[in-house]
Amino acid sequence: MARMKFICDAERCIECNGCATACKNEHEVPWGVNRRRLITVNDGKPGERSMSVACMHCSDAPCMAVCPVDCFYKTEEGVVLHDKDLCIGCGYCFYACPFGAPQFPQAGAFGLRGKMDKCTFCAGGPEENHSKAEFTKYGRNRIAEGKLPACAEMCSTKALLAGDGAVIESIYKTRVQRRGKGDEIWGWAMAYKRGDAVAAGVKS
Amino acid sequence: MKTSWWPSRQTSWRLLAGVAVSLGLSFGVSAQTAPAVAAAPVAATPVAAPDTAPVVKSAPALPAGSTAQPGWNVPPKWSDVELKPQYASVPGREMNVLLEDKGQWWRTIRNGPVTFYGGILMLVVPALLLVFFAVKGPFKLHGAPSGKLIERFNSAERMVHWTMALSFVALSVSGLILLFGKYVLMPVFGASVFAWTAQVMKAVHNFVGPLFMFSLVAFFFMYVRDNYFKPIDFTWLAKFGGLLSGSHVPSGRFNGGEKVWFWLSIVMLGVIISVSGLILLFPNWDSTRELMAEANLVHGIIAILFMAASLGHIYIGTIGTQGAYQGMRKGYVDETWAKEHHEMWYNDVKSGKAVQKPVGAAQPAAGDD
Repeated sequence: MARMKFICDAERCIECNGCATACKNEHEVPWGVNRRRLITVNDGKPGERSMSVACMHCSDAPCMAVCPVDCFYKTEEGVVLHDKDLCIGCGYCFYACPFGAPQFPQAGAFGLRGKMDKCTFCAGGPEENHSKAEFTKYGRNRIAEGKLPACAEMCSTKALLAGDGAVIESIYKTRVQRRGKGDEIWGWAMAYKRGDAVAAGVKS
Repeated sequence: MKTSWWPSRQTSWRLLAGVAVSLGLSFGVSAQTAPAVAAAPVAATPVAAPDTAPVVKSAPALPAGSTAQPGWNVPPKWSDVELKPQYASVPGREMNVLLEDKGQWWRTIRNGPVTFYGGILMLVVPALLLVFFAVKGPFKLHGAPSGKLIERFNSAERMVHWTMALSFVALSVSGLILLFGKYVLMPVFGASVFAWTAQVMKAVHNFVGPLFMFSLVAFFFMYVRDNYFKPIDFTWLAKFGGLLSGSHVPSGRFNGGEKVWFWLSIVMLGVIISVSGLILLFPNWDSTRELMAEANLVHGIIAILFMAASLGHIYIGTIGTQGAYQGMRKGYVDETWAKEHHEMWYNDVKSGKAVQKPVGAAQPAAGDD
């Protein structure tokens, strides 16, 4: 089974926010919740690069580890999903996630957290595929439709790649070799092979 | 999640991957050595980098005929910038931070030592108290009860004590369920029922917390006067209240042990747990994730110590000491109890130095709680 991953190619990203917009539109994400966001480094200076950030669907997902009600689960494709019926809105996944992926709609006074919402890799949730309940809680299940995540499909420069990790990695590496720069696959060491990365002193 | 369409798509990806890899090989470099490519070719003279743009790699050689300035469009070294705030168009606290690495540290400690040793402590302390009770039994009165009662705690003091005590128990139970319920209750209840329980417990924790804090403040001002340390308390502590020797150590209204409990647990742990709890209680304060993770650790560790200490307090105040519970339950203790446990206070009461209701009022009417 393919292992689903994201890559954002900073050499190509033009910070158009198309991915964030596509995601919001596809899933009708509520106001104040951003499953995907753009971060720009060296904004307005030479060497400016942008990065599209969302849930990386980690191998050893910190959110899963700290959830006090174990509402997270992993699909066969390595996609980290969660069950909003179980979520109690404690915010622990939000503390633990290095990517800032978990989002909480405000559910009451004093910033009371509602059910957590995050990128689903367009794979819906535990409800029946394409059901109304699934759409309301998690958004569209494009994976069940045989499609890849909306953000990557919508990306105008194909900076954002989503799909089988081995495939998108080879696409990315080909790009790196052809252009001779931009070789860091940002976030992968944190998300997929943390142990190795720490041993090698790699932080990205 | 299932689709018959998927494998064919995958196959086409594989083909694409094969093409991509062979393309890479045709450049004479395997995919794994790609990083070296970026670093190898050095441009003639890197132009002085403007202001703060981090130049960490020499710029790649420009294609022939390019008019671009070498050294200007150098990508950042992600490991240097990913922890620092950058620019993000999405508003919100820390939305502009690429990576937050303190979360992993928090996870390791919370899921590790806090859960493990905390859980052990929560089992060992009650077990030790039970063993102590089984071996030593309760501290009994040596003399016969006189039948005469004197007031030890007035109704306001008792109300504040029990507000604090009951809110403490509610917070303990809900807090324990949030930390250990996943391992203890979930296998029994199943995911749905346990999640519902945890949801209720989270609400209980959130709403009872402030009540506990108010009672803490009221308790402090009500009890602090009688909890100042006096020389006799150090004697009491040095002799451990005569617990081991069996000798009688006089004390004022509160003995050394009670004062330690007051200052170290109620005041010190109470303040720490309240402050860390407030940080966690109000996400709208826009605390950073790092601060909230730290507050969570402090809150959990202090809560476990507080619970362990309070188990000792509850033991001594109930089954461990004959007559102690009635003092806080009804407000009155027998004179014999007062003389044996708090001799100096008893003398003060008798000599009229300690404020005391008239003895006539000291007999509680039936049903007067």
